[in-house]
Amino acid sequence: MSERHHRYPTFDLKVANVPDDLCPVATELSPMMPGDWRSFRPVVDRDKCVKCAVCWLYCPVQCVEEHAAWFDFNLDTCKGCGICATECPQRAIVMIPEVK
Amino acid sequence: MGQAYSTIAFDPSACDGCGECMKACARVKFDSADVSRSLIQIVKSGDGADMRPGTPGEFELALCRQCGDPKCVTVCPAAALTKNGSTGVIDWDPAKCVDCLLCTLGCSYAGISLDAEVGRVSKCDTCDGNPACVPACPHGALRYVTTSRIYNEVGDWEDLFAPGLAGCQGCNTELLMRHALRRVGPDTVLATPPGCVPGMGSVGFNGTTGTKVPVFHPLLTNTASMLAGIKRQYKRVGRDITAMAIAGDGGASDVGFQSLSGAAERGEQILFLVIDNEGYMNTGMQRSSCTPFGAWTSTTPVGEHGQGKTQDAKNLPLIMVNHRCEYVATASTAFMEDLYDKLDKAIAASKRGFAYLHVYSPCTTGWRFPGDRNIEVARKAVETNFVLLWEYTQNRGLRFTRPVNDPAPVTEYLKTMARFKHLSEAQIDHIQRKVEENLRFVKRMAEMADAE
Repeated sequence: MSERHHRYPTFDLKVANVPDDLCPVATELSPMMPGDWRSFRPVVDRDKCVKCAVCWLYCPVQCVEEHAAWFDFNLDTCKGCGICATECPQRAIVMIPEVK
Repeated sequence: MGQAYSTIAFDPSACDGCGECMKACARVKFDSADVSRSLIQIVKSGDGADMRPGTPGEFELALCRQCGDPKCVTVCPAAALTKNGSTGVIDWDPAKCVDCLLCTLGCSYAGISLDAEVGRVSKCDTCDGNPACVPACPHGALRYVTTSRIYNEVGDWEDLFAPGLAGCQGCNTELLMRHALRRVGPDTVLATPPGCVPGMGSVGFNGTTGTKVPVFHPLLTNTASMLAGIKRQYKRVGRDITAMAIAGDGGASDVGFQSLSGAAERGEQILFLVIDNEGYMNTGMQRSSCTPFGAWTSTTPVGEHGQGKTQDAKNLPLIMVNHRCEYVATASTAFMEDLYDKLDKAIAASKRGFAYLHVYSPCTTGWRFPGDRNIEVARKAVETNFVLLWEYTQNRGLRFTRPVNDPAPVTEYLKTMARFKHLSEAQIDHIQRKVEENLRFVKRMAEMADAE
């Protein structure tokens, strides 16, 4: 899981001084990871990536991560929708089938 | 965090090789009519010998791409080429260059080449962020993509939803809510009435939460009134929060309309974001009052008797204008810079009164198109004027933010998805007439505002 998903602490009942018999309050983040839905995986051609961030802009799960010279994907959450590959202005992303 | 950069995008399917881009470049850069000096070169696929204009799809681009990992820089023995960290452009230093031409071999895109006129290499510098070739293209085959500025501003801000939400593959709603809540920020109380937004897990599963700000799940009917009460209580205890609702079109235009209208009329300080996917997509794609004419839904079936919805869509954002809200706007995820501007204005307006943002959101499952085409469908909706992008304030009135002066026929939009594939000629004519009528109606309001 990427670092930036955990910068703010989630709501803390004790700190907020909320009585715990009032109503149930969820304080833990859902651990569900949709990466295993994927039937296609995005693969970046690092030579072609110009870091325009269009993939990040249109990624519904916001799983795009920046590297020094290219953008890549967090495959724990990537659902494989392929929007990044369709929208990439430099056609630097291809979708390849997930096979065992 | 690093940095993202603007880029020149080329669509070979739109290019007919007319060469206007090359003429513009040679003129602006060298004050020359010699297109061989142009830093952008359009070449015919194959041996490149035949340069007469031809059929779109036959041409390729030779232009410096300002690579993230530039090979020309790697091979240069004199360090005359460097990647500029702030603009992203590969800068060429003529004082350091030893004219060895190794860079022209290092680049596999023919992005840097010998200018025979002066005997030195030359390459594109994107005209300092205003490339002359792009507006010169009469076919829209060149685009200057500047959305990197959004990444540079908010790319390292916290995504305030859980990393894993159960939206469909390629869900526009998930895209929109992640962008919107990150922009609004952590001091927010979020209301999500029944629909895809809580359905995909923003209110959590099994005792966990899906959102990193306080979130609650009102009824369809009382979203705006419940949120108004919460906002007032926070005001009473002296804490500044953004009271935000993310509702679907059903939850806003049908079931929740009474409380929405009431809160807007009272001027409650709420940011109400409507994700309009034109139906009750979460519960099985039933029609709503925002479903357009002719569309297939599970309750407007297509068969021997039915041919899709027989009524026109209700124009909810115009109804909200008639509440004289602090701010009303329509937006589309295909035009993110426009959407972000409107989000900023809506956040500011929600501190003074009722801010209403209506975002058209194609639904891959309910509208029947492949998930990866989502942004394309959203873009086509705007380019055909099926969806109009405008904003309204009490002072300025209504104004178009992205007028489309040369709209494509509405069939360009309708044919992108299967919910319209049964349409008869008469139905398509009806939709085209409605698009034009709606445009005339909104235009009149904009002209009235301009005249004042």
